[in-house]
Amino acid sequence: MWKYIAKRLAMVSIVIAGVTFIAFSAMYFAPGDPAEVIALARYGEDLSASQIGTLREAEGLDAPVHIQYLIWVGHLLRLDLGKSLVTSEDVLAEILQKLPATAKLAIASLLVSFLIALPAGILSALRKNSLLDRGCMFVSLVGVSIPNFWLGLLLIWLFALTLHMFPSFGYGSLKHFVLPALTLGTSLAAVTARLTRASLLEVLGQEYIVAARARGLDEHTILFRHALKNALLPVITFAGMQFGYLLGGAVIVETIFSWPGIGKLLVDSIFARDFSMIQGCVLFIAVLFSLSSLAVDILYAVLDPRIRYDRHD
Amino acid sequence: MNRSFKFILIICMLFAVIGASACIGEEKDRTAKGAGSVESSQELVVGISTDVSSWYLNMFAAGDARFVWSQVYETLVRLDPDLNVIPGLAESWETPDDGRTWIFHLRENVTFHDGSPFDADSVVFSYSNQSYVRQAVLKPVQSVETLDAHTVKFVLEKPMPLPFYLTHVAWPVMCPGCLDAEGNFVKPVGTGPFMFETQKKDQEIVLTRNEAYWGEKPLLDKVTFKVIPEAATRVIALETGEVDMVIKVPEYDVERLEAEEGIQVHRKLTTFTDFLQFNCDNSPFNDTRVRQSIAYAIDTETLVNEVLEGIGKPAGGRPYSPVMMYSDPDLETYTQDLDKAGALLEEAGWKDSDGDGIKEKGGTPLHVTLIVSKGVWAARHNPMAQVVQGTLREVGMDVEIQVLDEGAISKLENTGDFGMILRSGYFVWGPYPKHFFVHHSGSPYSHYHNETYDQLVNAADMTVDTQEQEELYHSLQSFVIEEVPAFYLVHEEKVVATGSSVKGYTISSEDPWLNLSGVYHGK
Repeated sequence: MWKYIAKRLAMVSIVIAGVTFIAFSAMYFAPGDPAEVIALARYGEDLSASQIGTLREAEGLDAPVHIQYLIWVGHLLRLDLGKSLVTSEDVLAEILQKLPATAKLAIASLLVSFLIALPAGILSALRKNSLLDRGCMFVSLVGVSIPNFWLGLLLIWLFALTLHMFPSFGYGSLKHFVLPALTLGTSLAAVTARLTRASLLEVLGQEYIVAARARGLDEHTILFRHALKNALLPVITFAGMQFGYLLGGAVIVETIFSWPGIGKLLVDSIFARDFSMIQGCVLFIAVLFSLSSLAVDILYAVLDPRIRYDRHD
Repeated sequence: MNRSFKFILIICMLFAVIGASACIGEEKDRTAKGAGSVESSQELVVGISTDVSSWYLNMFAAGDARFVWSQVYETLVRLDPDLNVIPGLAESWETPDDGRTWIFHLRENVTFHDGSPFDADSVVFSYSNQSYVRQAVLKPVQSVETLDAHTVKFVLEKPMPLPFYLTHVAWPVMCPGCLDAEGNFVKPVGTGPFMFETQKKDQEIVLTRNEAYWGEKPLLDKVTFKVIPEAATRVIALETGEVDMVIKVPEYDVERLEAEEGIQVHRKLTTFTDFLQFNCDNSPFNDTRVRQSIAYAIDTETLVNEVLEGIGKPAGGRPYSPVMMYSDPDLETYTQDLDKAGALLEEAGWKDSDGDGIKEKGGTPLHVTLIVSKGVWAARHNPMAQVVQGTLREVGMDVEIQVLDEGAISKLENTGDFGMILRSGYFVWGPYPKHFFVHHSGSPYSHYHNETYDQLVNAADMTVDTQEQEELYHSLQSFVIEEVPAFYLVHEEKVVATGSSVKGYTISSEDPWLNLSGVYHGK
């Protein structure tokens, strides 16, 4: 078990190292001169060649690329992600400041998705091929297929513009959570519901369930005490992965609802050509995602004794 | 399966969809007002697309920041809604030597928001060589000196119509009190009608009325700028009453909003004009006849009516928007004439010999690229580029549209590996003459090299005599029409929408400028 964790940790470090490389080279593979890109971000469109030259020296951009990369990684190891090219604020501080808003939205969305998906998935599995099942699965197919930006605007139109129930944008009170969480939650719920259904159907077909039935247990006990426990394992894994993904900021939804989270920070930085902020966000998101999938893997190993990760144990 | 269990499941689902939302939070939400309610307090909520990331003179106030800056900071010279030059913080100005020295007489009894007096020292502070404007635009300024407490002298290395330049809202007068003793920026302190109160990053900026304002006192107590990046959300927020005013309404929403009861849509031509810039260094656009042919081929009226929903004014090649000072009202612009366009191409040697609809010359087909920038202007420029592509196909030109990042565009500009670029007119504001520099050999954005043109631009920028300026700018406009270093497509129109209770708003032609002085909430 410990060996497994160590192995996974090593793999995660390799992934993260790869990400640093990609995030860094993005600046170089991006068309145009980085010094000019920075100058554009900082000074707007009015540029002179001498301004770009001064900036190139001041930012150390005249050094060879591999030296620049090593310097950058050195800073990273000291948790220094640099300063924003546009606002000169500390990148990590900026990201950490946005994290609570994103985390809160992630939790709320996950909650919404469970509240919809679990009942729907379980009902569909129990009433396999019934009208209810087909209805639920059709709705979830629609849910997967509707892009978030459209669903978000539809919800704004219905709940904000027509019914005046919730604000259409912003962050602050509980009411502000409803529409973005519903948008993210329903699209997640669609996948989760299908997964719950499939997993439960598989478990219900297994011999120990038949055995339980043969012992005369009622369906209620079979479902809740025996089937669900096992059926929900992959669902939890999936939810964990989704959580990692959501922590990276739901880029589109945060933008539509003006939610001051990491996703919106990333979009704003892209529009402002704030490369150090983009690098910082990408790195942060990648690290969070790797760590959350690591956590899920470990959790999985702890929860499911059938799974032997370490064959040499 | 038993009934109660099913019942619980269904309740769960219902709870998730409706219950979770409807009964959450009895707390009162200030922002969700509901349409049609009339505010008793005089607070104006304005929806803008980007936050203010810089408040200090060492940086350029990009994007919508300028709408906020124009409430807090003021300039020495101002423009009225119709772009006439009027006094700002300077009451009057003069140049004793035809534009090399400018003396500004400052308004007295003006105080900054922190109570300190506005005087010549603060002007020197604002236009020091630390300032963005000195580094980027006003490079000919040699020194800024105080003559007495309310008189400032600018000395330039060559004559320049300096007052024009000083109308720009991103280069205002700031109080030295913006900085602490160590020289670090603390908070924005200006002389404007509203004072900075708070800023929640990427969410909102709150300004309060400056009770000591020297000019017409604002009627509003408070202005809140809400940052809403998504255009569709911004418009909906106006419709729900969450904001009172939206700046930069998308073209496709205008007709709908105009029809909506209670919402007022304000429109006015700005100084911005979209243009198609040619790479005049390479074939085929090094031939003036090819550029003229394009000017005859493109119907700018179609662009406005079909692509931009009638918002804007067809330019037909005219570089200066009709609202601008020195825009030549008698300028002969282009109207579509496909036969003439085709004939000009044939005259230049481009003929369709193999009958495939694309003209050739010496075996090379007439294939050109049209670059469109990604980013804020893309929504407008992409469909415009497609119409241009379709039209030019009719005269035998094969246009390939490339949508690229700014960095990629500047790389292509350096190598000269492009045909045309669709650009927005952000190079120009007010009566400021800088726009013609875009085709001047000295500009990094220029792909046109013509000595006569360069001389005309230099002469116009160094003249302070208004009569002479007018003549020079008129000849520059005719020059652009004849020689077509770029073909000017659409004079942009600015669209601001306000809610039912907002009264007294006057839209200005100056693009990044917002005048709230007469605005109030009423029935």
